[in-house]
Amino acid sequence: MTTSAVSLRGVTRKYGAVQAVAGVDLEIRAGEVVALLGPNGAGKSTTIEMLLGLARPDQGEVRVYGGSPAEAIAKGLVGVMLQSGGIIEDAKVGELLNLVAGLHKEPMPVGEALERAGIADLRDRKLKGLSGGQQQRVRFAMAIVPQPELIVLDEPTTGMDVESRRDFWASMHAETARGRTVLFATHYLEEADAYADRVVLMRNGKIVADGTAAQIKASVSGRTIRATIPGANLAALAALDGVRSVETRGDVVLLQCADSDATLRYLLASTRAHDIEVTSADLEDAVLAISAEQEALA
Amino acid sequence: MNRTYLMFDIRRTLRNKRVLLFSVLMPVVLFAIFGLTIPDGASEGGISAIAYVMVSMAMFGSMSAAMSSGGAIAAERDGGWNRTLRLTPLTPQAYVASKVILSLLLAVPPLLIVFLFGRVAGHVHLDATQWITVALVSWLGALPFAAIGLVIGYVAKPDSVQPITGLSTMLIAAFGGLWLPVDQMPSLMKHIAQLTPAYWTGQTSRSALTAAGVDTQALLVVLAWTVVLGVIALRRFRADTARA
Repeated sequence: MTTSAVSLRGVTRKYGAVQAVAGVDLEIRAGEVVALLGPNGAGKSTTIEMLLGLARPDQGEVRVYGGSPAEAIAKGLVGVMLQSGGIIEDAKVGELLNLVAGLHKEPMPVGEALERAGIADLRDRKLKGLSGGQQQRVRFAMAIVPQPELIVLDEPTTGMDVESRRDFWASMHAETARGRTVLFATHYLEEADAYADRVVLMRNGKIVADGTAAQIKASVSGRTIRATIPGANLAALAALDGVRSVETRGDVVLLQCADSDATLRYLLASTRAHDIEVTSADLEDAVLAISAEQEALA
Repeated sequence: MNRTYLMFDIRRTLRNKRVLLFSVLMPVVLFAIFGLTIPDGASEGGISAIAYVMVSMAMFGSMSAAMSSGGAIAAERDGGWNRTLRLTPLTPQAYVASKVILSLLLAVPPLLIVFLFGRVAGHVHLDATQWITVALVSWLGALPFAAIGLVIGYVAKPDSVQPITGLSTMLIAAFGGLWLPVDQMPSLMKHIAQLTPAYWTGQTSRSALTAAGVDTQALLVVLAWTVVLGVIALRRFRADTARA
């Protein structure tokens, strides 16, 4: 039997009255790229903290490469990119990287880590003067310079603009192509979809779905149309091909659609619909949809 | 001790010229006020009074430098730096040892400059062995203060660490007899003085000037303080994983 990279069994953690993590079981095999997806407050960060040994679980067991998190870290098996902080502002980028590299046994050359993170030109700059996105790249370089087996990233693209986000994931992709095991937390469904082999969906401290990105996405595909339709014929609307369900709030009609384009054409051509809005289901809807399913199954 | 970590800290500290300058300036000014004004030939407890003041002020300088260096970790902690370190193979022992050594290094300039100033401006005469002994024991005397600095760095917030360190330094120096000779204190104050590590470091340093030589009992008390405070700092480092 091969050892899992990460194994959490029945892990719980309470902060005051808040049950941040309410019983999580998770196995990550070597080489997997896993997204931990969920809205804010779902328990992603706490799960990651327990996995890294920064927080102790109230119950349950955490193993990283068969040992405790502290043992895995002492062996230099884990590279981490924290969500914020974790740097010293009056240090220079190169100094910080030299330090992290120097604390590990087999680091890659610092120049190479900076290159891969796309910040070779920032080597002599102090952290203080860097933009949020640049600091995130420094954190990324710090995570990869030890050449770890497992890279853990907690919401790595928070605060980045669209372009830096794309660049960041391009660098990240190069790392995963090298066969590293990666776990990243995110609340962007697109990121999970584009970069993870496997998506673990969390809500209220529990894992509510675990599968490929395609499986998760299937449950959130479709759009919602919201329109004011005086005297709407609800039965006719519900009978339309692209419509899954119909709800009303006074004159306002909410249509859950598999094919919103066709529905929209019908509304404009055959009804007195006005003030029409089309929205795509967001992560929160996905989580709600999936957890409703899970509850129905249970 | 971890050399990589120590070098990282030394580089950053050397960039902060103002702190270095201030750590030297303060004891030199105090020596000028309290030492250079002493009439020639005055003595205190069998030691030349000006040498007595010189050693006390040098001790005060090295102690403040050591304490403020430890206090600097309050700012580092505020940025979540501890979490980053916890996620590397650096051990808590190596971290705390590196910080203590950094403090010891910062304790050197005030000691040397005050001694030099004492020799040149105050005409303090000691033989070579005495100079070396007094310098060495005064330097070791910075050890417990390096540890106190670390403990303060873990307890204080970045905006309160300076006043806390400043006040503690002054109280410890004053009550420990670095500013006012313990022999001149009322008996209650003498008892209080003995509860501070500054009394024992001062005692150790000044004993190097006497014919009897270094007070080994006082030196042992200094080392005991260091161990106890060092262990407290170590435990704080282990427990501290606060988010940024």
